[in-house]
Amino acid sequence: MTLILEARGIDKTYPGGVHANQNIDLSVTAGTVHAVVGENGAGKSTLMKILFGVEQPNAGEILLDGKPIVLHSPRAAIAAGIGMVFQHFSLVPSFTVAENVVLGVEPRSGLKLDRKRAAETVQALAERFRLPVDVESPVERLPVGQQQRVEILKALYREARVLILDEPTAVLAPQEVVELFAAIRSLTEQGRTILFIAHKLPEVLEISDRISVMRAGKMVGEVAASEATEKSLARMMVGRDVALKVERAHKGPHEHFCRIAGLTVKNDRGLDAIKDMDLVLRTGEIVGIAAVEGNGQSELFDALGGLRPIEGGSVELGGIDVTDLSVEEKRDAGLAHIPEDRIATGSAGGATIAENIVATELGDTRFVRRGLLDGKAIRDHAVELIAKFSVRAPGPDAAIGTLSGGNMQKVVVARELSAKPRMLLVSHPTRGVDLGATEFIWQRLAEARDGGASILLTSADLSELLALADRMIVLYRGRIVAAFANTADLTPEVLGSYMLGFAAQGHEELKAALA
Amino acid sequence: MTQGKLILSETGRMIFAAVIALAVALVIILLSSKTPLETFQTFLTGPLSSKRTVGTWIDDASKLALAGLAFSLVFQARQFALGVQGQVYIGGLLASTIALSPLGLSWISIPLGAIAAMLGGALLGFIPGYAKAKLNANEIVSSLMLNYIAYDFTAMMLRLYLASPKSGLTASDPFPPTAVYPAFIARTRMDLGLVLALVTVVVVWFLLYRTAWGLKLRLTGHNARFAAYSGIRSNFIMVSAMTVSGAIGGLLGALFVQGTGFAKLAAGFEAGLSFEGILIAIVARNRPLAIPFVALGYGYLRQGAALMGYRTDVPAEVIGIVQGIVILLVASSFTLPGRALLNRIMGGRSAAEAS
Repeated sequence: MTLILEARGIDKTYPGGVHANQNIDLSVTAGTVHAVVGENGAGKSTLMKILFGVEQPNAGEILLDGKPIVLHSPRAAIAAGIGMVFQHFSLVPSFTVAENVVLGVEPRSGLKLDRKRAAETVQALAERFRLPVDVESPVERLPVGQQQRVEILKALYREARVLILDEPTAVLAPQEVVELFAAIRSLTEQGRTILFIAHKLPEVLEISDRISVMRAGKMVGEVAASEATEKSLARMMVGRDVALKVERAHKGPHEHFCRIAGLTVKNDRGLDAIKDMDLVLRTGEIVGIAAVEGNGQSELFDALGGLRPIEGGSVELGGIDVTDLSVEEKRDAGLAHIPEDRIATGSAGGATIAENIVATELGDTRFVRRGLLDGKAIRDHAVELIAKFSVRAPGPDAAIGTLSGGNMQKVVVARELSAKPRMLLVSHPTRGVDLGATEFIWQRLAEARDGGASILLTSADLSELLALADRMIVLYRGRIVAAFANTADLTPEVLGSYMLGFAAQGHEELKAALA
Repeated sequence: MTQGKLILSETGRMIFAAVIALAVALVIILLSSKTPLETFQTFLTGPLSSKRTVGTWIDDASKLALAGLAFSLVFQARQFALGVQGQVYIGGLLASTIALSPLGLSWISIPLGAIAAMLGGALLGFIPGYAKAKLNANEIVSSLMLNYIAYDFTAMMLRLYLASPKSGLTASDPFPPTAVYPAFIARTRMDLGLVLALVTVVVVWFLLYRTAWGLKLRLTGHNARFAAYSGIRSNFIMVSAMTVSGAIGGLLGALFVQGTGFAKLAAGFEAGLSFEGILIAIVARNRPLAIPFVALGYGYLRQGAALMGYRTDVPAEVIGIVQGIVILLVASSFTLPGRALLNRIMGGRSAAEAS
């Protein structure tokens, strides 16, 4: 086993004074999958940017094939055989897959791009590494998982021997993760080396050979995946034991609170995303919605939250028909909403934390009287929530866009829970959020449930749904195809067969489970 | 970054942009003037050469500030309504109508003129906003088209009803002295307009940063989807922002015609000043409290260029080039040169200290 890439004593302090990497050593063996795990802000991304030449270390050296190498730019890293796929892709949406892959190093015939040869080369590359993709399709028409493949193909086309994947699973559905892992295995079989940045531990354990753990800018250890457990890794990452477990709701006579009847919602293309849905939520329970991305769950949450028109049917909260009410009126009726995208929907990045927190409460006389803002009350409220939710932020006047993903999500959760909602819509509450914050958010959701809130929850992470939900329903092509009480014998495999449409409960069985 | 640091770095960027633009202007003057040094001196010091030129500078800056405020209000709501010019014409027309009516013989025509101008401007601002909310009409197109309508309507009304035969149908009779803004310093243009502009700065700042409406407006501008999600009625915010901005544009029209500079309605009176409000708003980053300073600085350059045009052999159009360069530099969000170098030195040193 030869080492292909080594980092020795890497040290990096950003101009702002953040000491992101402190004397980091990392040794990567050729032909393996090496994971680097750590909480948000542990310094993983900085280390990878240094290995890809985006950032320059203040001290330390990098060795490739045992020889020291200076990576003063990504161009130098690519030339040396190091490729990187970032979380945010850099693809030209209107170009085809083949055009995107060859962009910058195109095969030419004379002065012209040789389209045919480009397509053939990319096709061959895709087949060789088990990354099936339609090379003639414009990238904008592809789902995220396939766009990621295009990014990987781009690196492989430039003959990357070491491929750095920065949180590759964060944007993927469970099925897409399976396909990505198949591709990663085929890459290592053919001698390529993968550096895998992640914080979802089950995935890391499944795909990696060796795992390096970072915490607060330092390398705290390296283990073989075969010798590590989720618990041991979590302890190394966070520095204490993490309990990712939530108590179930106490059973009792809970009355119906939210009544959804005959609900129909259309998607952006005008097709039915949700068809004739009936669902009842009781007070003090969490109902989980399991579905593969694109089966109507986004549209359902948007419609219930008032961001998308309801085409048919009705929604009642505590006996009030809220179907046609404005967002403001729905919120007054006790609705709160933790949206799936905290940046696009859940916050105004350029506004301050305090302004983001008060945005949903502008009708409240605590903060606004006669149209005038009570600046002190608004700031005090923000300071209180920042402390209560241990948000790491410079203060209430910092722009929310400057916070890390986990802290931004905490602000969103804090704002929505501080309204003491009676009905809470929750989408992907911990997507891209680190373990410590995940544990925290789960506990807050369980508290809201114990306080009597009805919670409708969806997540791409089935383990999250299974950990939190009291009841589960499965959505397939806009319809409820199965419903379960969340007991110990409910497994991801059972849910998966309904989610993929291989099975559906009968009408009577469904009716009984939904009652 | 703290507020203080932000202001410092933004001011630094602004001054740097102005210096670069001036350097280019100097090169042009060197190439085109027979007496380049005197010409450049006129450009740089002309506005301070007499009490009268100082007055003209301040008057110009007041008008630029109002135009900048009107634009910054819609820009903060991320609406690209460009209708200030049309609002100025309609505002000027309505204020002139009051001033030339029997009411003009009383001081009441000054507040009445301003109010009428603001109402007219507000209506003109409201139209593209309403069209966008109800018909999804692009506000850039509709507001620009309204500018033509307002300009030609004003010209038509001037010729039909208000023009003085003596002027060859291009201007009205002078307003009675009671309908003209009193000047603070005799025979300068430093008049009530300056006060109105400063009051408007404070009012706009207060609206944006101290009222719920202003917060809703800014949140809508930051992220319209977030605003909708929070329960803010963003259509109402959009239309009202454009309406209030229109009122400011209308007020600017009253300032023009009732100010000591004109004291009458003349065809094409605003001479393109309204659109320079875009530059003021961009350079001030839509911050109302920064706008008077930017307006003073830019107004100074504009006056310098104008005086250069009268007094030397280089035409005043040089200001167009200066303006273009300033906009390019400010809008392109450059960072001050030398900072990267400074950071490297500082970063290098702190690493050395650490080791």
